[in-house]
Amino acid sequence: MSELLIKNAVVCDPLNNINCEKMDLSVKDGKIVESVSSAAKLIDAGGKLTMAGGFDGHTHCAGKINVGRFMSPHDMRMNPIPGLSGKVAPTATTRAQVGYNTPNTFAIGYRYSKLGYTTITEAAIPILAARHTHEEFESIPILDKLGLTLFSSNWQVMEYIRDNEPDKLAAYVAWALRSSRGYGIKIVNPGGGEAWGWAKNVSGLDDPVPNFDVTPAQILLALAEANEKLNLPHSIHIHCNNLGKPGNYETTIASMKLLENVKTSRDRQAVHVTHVQFNAYAGTGWRDFETGAPMVADYINGANHLTFDLGMAMFGPAMTMTADGPLEYANSRLLHAKWSNQDVELEEASGVVPVTYSSKNFVNAVQWAIGQELALLVKDPWKVMFTTDSPNGGTFVNYPEAYTLLMSAKKRAEIIEGLPELAIGRMALPGIDRELDLYELAIMTRAIQSKMYGMATKGNLGVGADADIAIYDINPDSIDTSVEHEAVKKAFSGTAYTIKSGEIIVKDGEIAATPEGKTYWVNATVPKATEDAMMVNLVQKFKRYYSVNMANYMVEDAYLPHPVEIKTEAI
Amino acid sequence: MQIVTLSLKEQNIVPIEADTITPDNFAGKSTDEIEAILVYYGNSQASIGELFNVSVDGSDSVENTKIIFDGNVPRVKRIGQGMSAGEIEINGNVDMHCGSNMTGGKITINGNADSWVGCEMKGGEIVVNGNGGYYVGGGYRGEACGMAGGKITINGNVRDFLGEHLCGGEIIVNGDAGLLPGISNSGGTIIIEGNTTMVASEMKAGTVVVKGNVAEMMPAFREEGTEEFHGVTFRKFTGDVNVGGKGVLLVK
Repeated sequence: MSELLIKNAVVCDPLNNINCEKMDLSVKDGKIVESVSSAAKLIDAGGKLTMAGGFDGHTHCAGKINVGRFMSPHDMRMNPIPGLSGKVAPTATTRAQVGYNTPNTFAIGYRYSKLGYTTITEAAIPILAARHTHEEFESIPILDKLGLTLFSSNWQVMEYIRDNEPDKLAAYVAWALRSSRGYGIKIVNPGGGEAWGWAKNVSGLDDPVPNFDVTPAQILLALAEANEKLNLPHSIHIHCNNLGKPGNYETTIASMKLLENVKTSRDRQAVHVTHVQFNAYAGTGWRDFETGAPMVADYINGANHLTFDLGMAMFGPAMTMTADGPLEYANSRLLHAKWSNQDVELEEASGVVPVTYSSKNFVNAVQWAIGQELALLVKDPWKVMFTTDSPNGGTFVNYPEAYTLLMSAKKRAEIIEGLPELAIGRMALPGIDRELDLYELAIMTRAIQSKMYGMATKGNLGVGADADIAIYDINPDSIDTSVEHEAVKKAFSGTAYTIKSGEIIVKDGEIAATPEGKTYWVNATVPKATEDAMMVNLVQKFKRYYSVNMANYMVEDAYLPHPVEIKTEAI
Repeated sequence: MQIVTLSLKEQNIVPIEADTITPDNFAGKSTDEIEAILVYYGNSQASIGELFNVSVDGSDSVENTKIIFDGNVPRVKRIGQGMSAGEIEINGNVDMHCGSNMTGGKITINGNADSWVGCEMKGGEIVVNGNGGYYVGGGYRGEACGMAGGKITINGNVRDFLGEHLCGGEIIVNGDAGLLPGISNSGGTIIIEGNTTMVASEMKAGTVVVKGNVAEMMPAFREEGTEEFHGVTFRKFTGDVNVGGKGVLLVK
């Protein structure tokens, strides 16, 4: 029976409409409660900013990141943000830490916790590699984890779409989520991964996938329908076609429009479009490359069926990693960089390429601006999730820097001054004076995640919520976030307290305890007859094509020592 | 001028990681202060005074600080790592990573240097009066650039992967070089007075001159007549064409 009373906290909790007000928080057995006994341990927050634990809704923290690790041993030695990167010797509480863009699993857990984050979402789990992903999850301490399962170029999916079998498709999705212990449907460059097997890509929503005679548009629509049929807590989570290409903002808007009429089974978005920065490029080539963010933001402002995340690009070294195989090939040729490529049998492609975003490079400078433009031009913060697509646009330890950019026009202006003139003419950022306040930041970094993932116990501090709490060493009443950006950055770089499930895990920026986190997954059930019919086809697939047996492919319970199963039933 | 003389109290078997032994760290410090500086000794730390006899003569700025190692230090790694000025003289053999990442100053090794000498150095000078090991002036794993500036002179022979990923600076080897010198380099100059083999594979830019014999040429170079270098006429090759390289390889 552990009890905790946090006094004098200035709480920003958008889901409960609490706009940075002074109050006390009571915690009992890992949950927020109405009140606690007088025996409760007392923490005096002393008027400091207090939010629910941060929730990164799209990051690459397990699985493909390992490819990044072994192809970039030099990343181990990088230390641009002392305290949150580089080599750190083990202590009595912590294991050894190394790396920057691709830190080891322990460092991921500790560093996210220091930033006040308590829940993270791995953005891409290939079903075939799900066992590995969960093994890495198990070694990431402290944080609660969930993962999105990839369905972008899956043969079984495309065949059911071609043969018009929506029920079997839903049954397969349910089976695959269970087999990968995944939380939702991720779609990366739909159809592109299969085309990449033939050294091609798909050029847009209506370009058929080789040998399957289905289009990316059909894949998106059918999976959205399956998502709602299964009543999943999250919507489909899409990485649009043509990512990283000048002029791709049209494809992005077309993909969003395509899903306007999806009927949702729950009170949430119909689609989440991810790392839109990489998908909001205008121009016809790299010479006339410019921002497409105003057009995309304009569409989003008029739409109410979607949420999106930023995928902000931060200056400095980063590591791109995605299931978009053809994109990574293009990146490696363009940048003369090292390249890793993987074919995931009947499911996906993938690739990893290290990049450096340089403030002297005109394209990089415009990319840097686009992420911020999207955050600031979209009026409703309840549509915007903050991400850098870590580590694609910059690794997560850059989040404090990114927050200050969004919160201070002055800071942005200082940086813009030093950018190439060519770049300044191609971005919309210099004309934007909006500055986010702490309440809006709380929406983008924890509250919207709770809504879009259907996790009522996360991202808020209402009674009944998980006692995941971050207390930052600034006083919202006295700080001027638009001017004192250095103080804001410092506060967000190491919490005064991070509390996870009622336990103090960070105190004054140092790790105090390292409990193990939980793994959330969705178990959707479909009628037995449909599942049996689907299994007949799937067994054939394994017999004919897969290199592994079905029994060796599915994730077993032993891989999840702390599972939280969320059950849904097909409608 | 400040002269700091170090000699091992007894030959160590467990390696010492002496990246704190630099003129930058020693300048202006007394014997006691230098003896208190920590180095890694195996997996734990020890002070310099526990492992070395230290004598200090004078006190001066970094530029005017000289460190002298009396005798062999074959199990002391990372001497002079990251140093920016001053001088180090090693009167004997030295272990790996000597002078890596240095940006200025001079290291003289009157003996043999083990592998990775002058790795990723950006400036300054290293002279090895014995032989060098593997990866002289190379880059650490994954890095796009090895040595990027400064000068390394090896008066004996070196082993394989001389100047791997070289991006700038100059390396002169007065003896023979092992396999694949100048592999993946993209700048800088390598001059090998003796013999070698499989030279300049995957070279993108830079110059490699071999004055001795090349046992085996990589078949990825384009012959483009002759060129004079220091008054001697060499056959000129450019490549490596496999990576679209424009490097220059001069051989006899």
